Amino acid sequence: MKEFDYFRPSSLDECLKLLDQMRGRARILAGGTDLLVRLKHDMIREDNIVDIGRLDELHGVHVDGGDVHIAPLTTHNEIVESGLCDEVPVLKKACAQVGSPQIRNRGTIGGNVVNASPAGDTIPALSVHGAHVKLKSIDGERTIPIEELFTGPGRTAMRDNEILVDIVVPTIANGEIGFFKKLGQRNAMAISIVNIAVILSMNRSSKIIERAAVAVGSAAPTVIRCIEVENLMAGSRIDSAERLWEIAMKIRDRVSPISDVRASARYRAEMSANLFYEGMLELGVI
Amino acid sequence: MKVTYIINGKKQEFDISPGEILLDLLRDNGYMEVKGDCYEGTCGACTVLINNVPYASCTTLAAGVDEAEITTVKGLGDINNPHPVQQAFAKFGAVQCGYCTPGEILSAYALLLKDPDPGEEDIKRALDGNLCRCSGYMQQIEAVKIAAKMMREAGDNGRV
Repeated sequence: MKEFDYFRPSSLDECLKLLDQMRGRARILAGGTDLLVRLKHDMIREDNIVDIGRLDELHGVHVDGGDVHIAPLTTHNEIVESGLCDEVPVLKKACAQVGSPQIRNRGTIGGNVVNASPAGDTIPALSVHGAHVKLKSIDGERTIPIEELFTGPGRTAMRDNEILVDIVVPTIANGEIGFFKKLGQRNAMAISIVNIAVILSMNRSSKIIERAAVAVGSAAPTVIRCIEVENLMAGSRIDSAERLWEIAMKIRDRVSPISDVRASARYRAEMSANLFYEGMLELGVI
Repeated sequence: MKVTYIINGKKQEFDISPGEILLDLLRDNGYMEVKGDCYEGTCGACTVLINNVPYASCTTLAAGVDEAEITTVKGLGDINNPHPVQQAFAKFGAVQCGYCTPGEILSAYALLLKDPDPGEEDIKRALDGNLCRCSGYMQQIEAVKIAAKMMREAGDNGRV
């Protein structure tokens, strides 16, 4: 690992000033579960590391109005154990499937988001929940929909002096149901081969789906929303397994995964449809 | 730079370089009970407790946990005075080569601190991050159940 200078700002203001001075010559360290591996293997080399781990103002969950605010340093396990996050159940399910207990204790949701990995488990979940992210710099702050944060694998629309300060997740509406499913090479500690998050607003008796949100991860350069499928389901009832499979096939056709060491592109595409089909059956949509 | 920890109840100060990984620091200073294997946070051999929460020390920057309370498996007990979790692991044959054992015992202990009477699923989940490549996983689950019982009967958390 290359030697670096280490900074541990004691307030967000100090951190913002530091990031502004360094302008792209600094890498932010939160939990470090991903960053340290990449530094160690010289996959990335950094001159300056800014450790934000002690910034209490970037830590914790609170509810305000109809939104759950999750500060970026909140760990995956803290989200799993937070009663407040019961209102964002698909995200909670995704957090419970990240890495291993050791990783979930250390790794943060902010890190999972800004890493912008196509396989990041929290990202499809945040997308279907309609989450926004708040970015802040010395120049001011802005809030954007989570999908707009990602410009490519490992790439974000963040400016070089910006930091993620809040993740705003609307609470799930009455009558909304959903799921998060992940396929890995094993249950624990696996990076997603493909993952999918779905939220439906469905009338329990008529089973008519009023509104649907479907996001697939690890199946394209960034998380993708399946808008065509969402529109297809809205206002209709899925009355047979055949119909459900037809819709699942549209997800398969929508994704554009790559082949890599974990799986082939074709397998990923097939499995995105299969995870959707299985999850929808479990929700009792038919 | 200087960092201070409480390791197994004793205050320790180290002069470290900013990039130093906690696992390396601990082993270089004689805490050989902390094992290194994958060095990327996926095997659990290097598990230590930081303020009673299991972390992978191989993906933890030493500087980042300055002032923390760190527990290694030797902090629970030793051969003359083993902790109930250690006793149960020995009794149930939950140890074969022993390399994953320190991490497993710490993960189990952290679970029992939070939940004195965990179900089988809770135990499996708590040990999810610790890979064992020789003895399997059934004996560990039995060991944790018995350790939980021993700790409940002892009426405290069994901490030395």
